[in-house]
Amino acid sequence: MRRRVLTFLLAIIFLGGVSLGAVRLATAQSNDVLTISQGADTDTLSPITTAVTPSSNVFNQIFDGLAAHDPNGKLVPALATSWKQISPLKWQFNLRHGVKFSNGDPFTSADVKFTVEKVQDPAFKSQKADRVSMIASVETPDPYTAVYVTKKPSALMPGRPYDLRMVDAKYWKEHGDAYEVDHPMGTGPYMLKEWKKDDHLTMVANPGYWGGKVAIQTIVWKPIPESASRVAALQTGETDIITNVPPQNADQIANGKLTKLGTAKSDRVLFIAFNTQKPGLQDNVAFRQALNYAVNVPAIVKTVLGGHAFPLRNGALPPNFVGYDPKLPSYHYDPEKAKDLLKQAGVNGPINLVLNSPSGRYNMDKQVAEAVAGQLQVVGINASVQTQEWTNYVGQVSHKALVPMYELGWGNDTFDADGTLTPLFTTDYPISTWGTPETDKEIADARYELDPKKRNADYAKIQETIFQQAPWLFLFEYEDLYGITKRVAWQPRSDELIVCKDISWAK
Amino acid sequence: MVAYLVRRLFGAVLVLAGVTVAVFLILHLSGDPALIMLPPEASKQDVINFDHEYGFDRPVLIQFGDFAAHALRGDFGTSIRHGDPAMGLALERLPATAELAFSALLLAMIVAIPAGVIAATKRETAIDYIVRGVSLVGQAAPVYWIGIMFILIFGVALGWLPISGMGGIKHLLLPMITLGAFTTAKLMRITRSGMLDVMRSDYVRTALAKGLSSLTVTVRHTLRNAILPIVTVIGLELGTLLSGAVITETIFSWPGIGRLAVQAIYDRDYPVVEAVVVLTAAIFVGLNLLVDLTYAVFDPRITYK
Repeated sequence: MRRRVLTFLLAIIFLGGVSLGAVRLATAQSNDVLTISQGADTDTLSPITTAVTPSSNVFNQIFDGLAAHDPNGKLVPALATSWKQISPLKWQFNLRHGVKFSNGDPFTSADVKFTVEKVQDPAFKSQKADRVSMIASVETPDPYTAVYVTKKPSALMPGRPYDLRMVDAKYWKEHGDAYEVDHPMGTGPYMLKEWKKDDHLTMVANPGYWGGKVAIQTIVWKPIPESASRVAALQTGETDIITNVPPQNADQIANGKLTKLGTAKSDRVLFIAFNTQKPGLQDNVAFRQALNYAVNVPAIVKTVLGGHAFPLRNGALPPNFVGYDPKLPSYHYDPEKAKDLLKQAGVNGPINLVLNSPSGRYNMDKQVAEAVAGQLQVVGINASVQTQEWTNYVGQVSHKALVPMYELGWGNDTFDADGTLTPLFTTDYPISTWGTPETDKEIADARYELDPKKRNADYAKIQETIFQQAPWLFLFEYEDLYGITKRVAWQPRSDELIVCKDISWAK
Repeated sequence: MVAYLVRRLFGAVLVLAGVTVAVFLILHLSGDPALIMLPPEASKQDVINFDHEYGFDRPVLIQFGDFAAHALRGDFGTSIRHGDPAMGLALERLPATAELAFSALLLAMIVAIPAGVIAATKRETAIDYIVRGVSLVGQAAPVYWIGIMFILIFGVALGWLPISGMGGIKHLLLPMITLGAFTTAKLMRITRSGMLDVMRSDYVRTALAKGLSSLTVTVRHTLRNAILPIVTVIGLELGTLLSGAVITETIFSWPGIGRLAVQAIYDRDYPVVEAVVVLTAAIFVGLNLLVDLTYAVFDPRITYK
């Protein structure tokens, strides 16, 4: 008995030893293979399920939309060669001829109809449902024409549903929803070769791609969650592109022997929202304006973010957005004015408040909050920074539970005022903590205004109100930082997307 | 022996049941998964629909009954994030973690037991001081620090070894040493002190007095008798290594069960967290039982009734 147990024990140990000894050949860095490392692996390869950026970056290479954004956010043809409004409710898309999914199925208007209806199906629970919520139906007069019929005239067409990636209706119906998660079938420049979750995902060039030959034949997505490890992997050449470089590593990467820094102005803004829907000093306009004058944002950008951000002090919209008004005045650092405004708000002497902040969700989020709190002290406000882990934090944001003020970031890849103003400045939205009946109506009306001039004028008026009312302590737009090896030629985009067909080897 | 086994197995089932209840309750106290899974601008109705869809709107007791009934059949539900069966996801990642944990343990045993024996027999010499020093540092240094230092030294500065992902023995080395460092240090210390205890006993003196070589005495008399606590530690450490590779797996991007757990916790992916915790608890309990049984191999005085 003893001998047998001993043998068993030894067998277990040797089993471990064998798995250790099972030497597999390490894949050497080859000149055909580009490796990209984000912080997280994609959770699915079905392009119409999730809207999360790291996931989109992966499956977007396999699928195409009817239209695409060029690096400046301008809508350009993709699977549709052109589109036009044919009646107040109807948008006609002329589909590209001869496009095939990588299994050989032709791409037709039936696929467009299927994709839109799948995303709209409540049982499918797509995170992209709001992108097509204005569409009542899709008509398919012939295989190369798809017509989106909207519920009412909408200024959100055709830009709002642009990033919906088209799936193969025949293939999907054959295999069902669950199969598509690991077995994507698209028309895009790359095809899935292998996916070992959380380790690597390999894709190869699609020889039948309608857009021609791509420069890089094989792309490997290798998620590295820890940012220090990600930076190290870039420096050793184990990976070629890394996302979310910590600002403190930016110089090191910019001056590296093998590496260079890639930057892009982000569509994400960081701000501190005042919860005006709960009682307190933050109810008072003068108080909110005072805090805006009390903070030296350019100094914070310089010291905390190493200069990798752009102060945005006149409102919530970055300058490249549709609806941005360049004539708006801007808040600036003026502690004396801040003190006067505080007196107007009835604050005579030092006060204590809480500044809520997430920790680790946005680049240097907690450090920015701490710097703001430090500057508020100069005008007699003792703000204590309270941080929470993101999952708890976002829950409280959605319940409007953080008072009197909380830091939050907002990315809006539609580059349209509506994607920021509706969720953040209308009274009843779950993450909005400010709103008036007048602006609620103005924002809703501008959403459906078809005349671009009138629409811009509407937004200018709304922004004027937001600037005066100061529902936020306005901070800055981020700059996204990427680490890139010198053998790669790539210019990062401001929508956080990585479009692999635009990447090539450096000459 | 059989009666003992049955009794222990029954105890193991009780422990697992306790773990299952605990993990279920803790998770359901920790926050609403709808708020994580839905985009921040989701409406109240979206949240209500989501909760209804996944059954989170039912009373906790009913949710637990349903969960337990399925769990008994090995069904931990479907991952909210991936849409795959939760236990399947956990089992899929187990081999990667097992490879890392077994190799870390093997390394620890190969290094620590001989080192501990030598340190004990050559007490108060330079070699003893070195072993004690290494053991102290190994137990005191945090895993994430060791890991990052290894990455900076052997990956970035020297360029000798890859620092992320799986893919052969070269990829294994750094995470293996990082994960094994603490166990190696602990095992060294236990071996050394166990040996010292036994070396003072009468039968060792007798064995030496009757003229046996010191090697025979050390291996057959001293180590044999000092081995019980070492076996205990090895068994429990394997459990710890299997369930505690979270930090090492994150630093070295190792696609194991620890990383799955961390991601699932961030996403409030209840089914996956439950599956991972119950699975690792089962492994831990199983190894513990195995350790107790192996006592009999090394110490004939121990019998199980």
